Amino acid sequence: MGFFDSLGMKVIFSSDTSEEQYRTYGKGRITMDSCFPVKALAGHIGELLHKDIDILFVPMIYSLPSFLRGHVMDTLCCTRVMMAPENIKAGFLKERDEFKERGIKYVSPFVPFGEPELLPKYLFESLKPAVEDLTYEEVVEAVREGFASLEEFDKSMREKSLEILRWCVKNNRPALLVLARPYHMDPGIGHEIDAELQLYGYPVLWYNYLPIDKWLLDWLGISLDISDVWTSSYSSNTNEIIWGAKFASRFPWITGVIRLSSYECGMDQPTFTPVQRIVESSGTLFFKFGELDETKPAGSVKIRVETIVYYLEKYSQDIIKKKLSRLREVPKELTL
Amino acid sequence: MEAVSFEYKAYKPRPFTKEERPYTTILFGGLTFKHERLITGALENMGYKAKPLPNIERIDLDIGKEYIDVGACCPTTFTAGNLARTLMDIEKKEGREAVRDRYVFVTIGACGPCRFGQYHESYERVLEGLNLRDFRLFLLDLLQLEQSVEGGGLEISMPLTLGLVYAMFMGDLITDMEYATRPYEVKKGQTDQVVKDSVEVLYEKLKKRPIVGKKLGNFLWHIFTDYFVDALKEVKKLWDEIEVDRLQPKAKVKITGEFWLQTHEGDGNYNIKRWLEEQGAEVIPPPVAVWMDYLINMELFKLEDAKPFVKNYYLKKFAISFFAWLYRRTYDKLRKALNNIPNPLPSQRELKELARPYFYYRLTGGEGHMLIGKALYALKHKQAHMICELSPYGCLPNTMSVGAMAKVLADYPELLYAPIEIKGDSEVHAYSRCQMVLTEAKRRAKEEFEQALEKTGLSLEDIRDFEEKHPQLKRATYKVPNYGYAGTSANYVMHVAKLMGRLK
Repeated sequence: MGFFDSLGMKVIFSSDTSEEQYRTYGKGRITMDSCFPVKALAGHIGELLHKDIDILFVPMIYSLPSFLRGHVMDTLCCTRVMMAPENIKAGFLKERDEFKERGIKYVSPFVPFGEPELLPKYLFESLKPAVEDLTYEEVVEAVREGFASLEEFDKSMREKSLEILRWCVKNNRPALLVLARPYHMDPGIGHEIDAELQLYGYPVLWYNYLPIDKWLLDWLGISLDISDVWTSSYSSNTNEIIWGAKFASRFPWITGVIRLSSYECGMDQPTFTPVQRIVESSGTLFFKFGELDETKPAGSVKIRVETIVYYLEKYSQDIIKKKLSRLREVPKELTL
Repeated sequence: MEAVSFEYKAYKPRPFTKEERPYTTILFGGLTFKHERLITGALENMGYKAKPLPNIERIDLDIGKEYIDVGACCPTTFTAGNLARTLMDIEKKEGREAVRDRYVFVTIGACGPCRFGQYHESYERVLEGLNLRDFRLFLLDLLQLEQSVEGGGLEISMPLTLGLVYAMFMGDLITDMEYATRPYEVKKGQTDQVVKDSVEVLYEKLKKRPIVGKKLGNFLWHIFTDYFVDALKEVKKLWDEIEVDRLQPKAKVKITGEFWLQTHEGDGNYNIKRWLEEQGAEVIPPPVAVWMDYLINMELFKLEDAKPFVKNYYLKKFAISFFAWLYRRTYDKLRKALNNIPNPLPSQRELKELARPYFYYRLTGGEGHMLIGKALYALKHKQAHMICELSPYGCLPNTMSVGAMAKVLADYPELLYAPIEIKGDSEVHAYSRCQMVLTEAKRRAKEEFEQALEKTGLSLEDIRDFEEKHPQLKRATYKVPNYGYAGTSANYVMHVAKLMGRLK
């Protein structure tokens, strides 16, 4: 938003992913089998074509601004996610140019967050044909604003996570950590499994917004390095999932980890065993919801959630004690 | 601060020391038997004991599924299963200690976040499953000219790297010769025999390659030497002996797809190249060299994008451009020794530009934009009647470019394109899908052939009579130029007509 605000552009988002959205706007646009997060893009593009917009902005995000940058080999986006716009676009062009028909300019810049110096160039080249009076300097400034806005958002989310963890410490209450891809936060992709668990009173944290304060990592005996458990650290989200697993295995009040994975996820596949082993190495409970697709498996989710809650209730206090016994005294910053 | 100890650690192989080198066999795999035999020669030349894994079999898929995490793509499953089968076999024959102490497995990582860059994670599951975590598995970086495994048992030095590059080039060239010849051979089985004989000649040459100089000296020797050209000229004589009948219209099918699957020859891709030949096609196999060329040129394209931010831009651009030029020049020099029967490498810049409206070139992973570029290149240059793209089930990058092909096909309805999803256990489905497009490709090949006959006014008898007087035309090594047709037989008719003075 910081980027578009700086350019003086009004932003309209597509709605959350839903089966209905995909069926109404996306079906018939897909020309291959894929995971739902990629297929869902067709529904979002199709929905936005029915809104009052001038530009349809569908970035090809190649690399991400990860907090692990500098500690890992790369911070690349999922191969499918970065390529998805080219794939899905074809579905709206193969018979006729539906963007042109509706007077909408399709803008799909290459976005390498890992190469920040090149960001303005790619964004400018892509936006310029759609915004005639745009200048390169304006884009440079907008990128700066965008990064500042992102940093501020990340900071506030990590502070919120820390606040929740402090509450757990103070009340000796267990929390759950979700290890998934960022798109699983979308209720139509992650099917609100985290919310179902929250209904039982368990705070749910997401791995990508965990606090990374030095005093906390020192206490847990970890850094931002993951090479001890994962050597192919190319994928940004994979790296963060692996790091999140390390955090969860050590933080006493995280007594359970929920792994979400979409159908046919090739990024997740090689990580299944390492992530589970990292988490379970300290006795932390591990539960996986795999092969998630467009249809919400409401019945089975309910049964699984009940099972998870049973285990959490039964074992959480033992897990907290066991994990605490492996650590030094709880730092004062956690008991504020 | 006291470290907190947790049990899980990533696999780390024991060192492989120089002292162990004489009695330790380096296992490797993933290419055709031709490439692998030549790589063996290059490794033996440098004093290593080396052995390729056995060719992939259907059973490897089942073994792989047993050991690795669910949902893997078929190349991962096949190769992991193949490694498991090999290690179980060695253990059975030579004992557990032999597996641990007398063998190491070397694989390469590339492709970033795609599973190709993470194959070793699956291999590690195999080692855990077999309770062989003390077996040594090393991951090398494809783009490092010089590197070493811990302990120095395997040192990728300049002479070894260049030996491997020549092994790869020559493996590609023999594969091109094979597929251009076998569909037209008069004596069945002769091509296969000559392929084997050629590979053995080249293996010996690689094994006996003189090691001249260390770094720059060695590099320069490899640039200027005729050692490999002479070896290929010797091989050419074997191919001269194969008589071919090019008056058989055959659909020319270009194979593209995911790297492992398109290169592979065996159960891993349902032996689809052989199957296509049995169905009356001539296959254009994908050279490994194209992929390396892609990686080199991507560095150039990225540099061009970053021009304002790069220090010594022109110097760096010159260095990469020169390296890319040298790469192609070397390949062309070797092709020439085989009378240019093997196909030239496509221009990477042209592939990028052809694919540009459909797939952005910086979206790397797998073959990136190349699959679209190659399809359009083949169409534009009348290289093939049909594209058969082999995509592994669940392949991350391939599925995306297959999807983008929908717009390509809308713009080029004349393009015959068969994307075949390979799971490894559903060959009837794959064959049947391929057959549908192949039928049209065969019709086009026949039509072209008849057109050429009509255009030249030649009959088959006229051509046969001319061939009798000019037997060199029937040699496998006789180069038939392209006259604007995709099919070999149509171009051959035109060429004979030209030799007969029938073409203006």
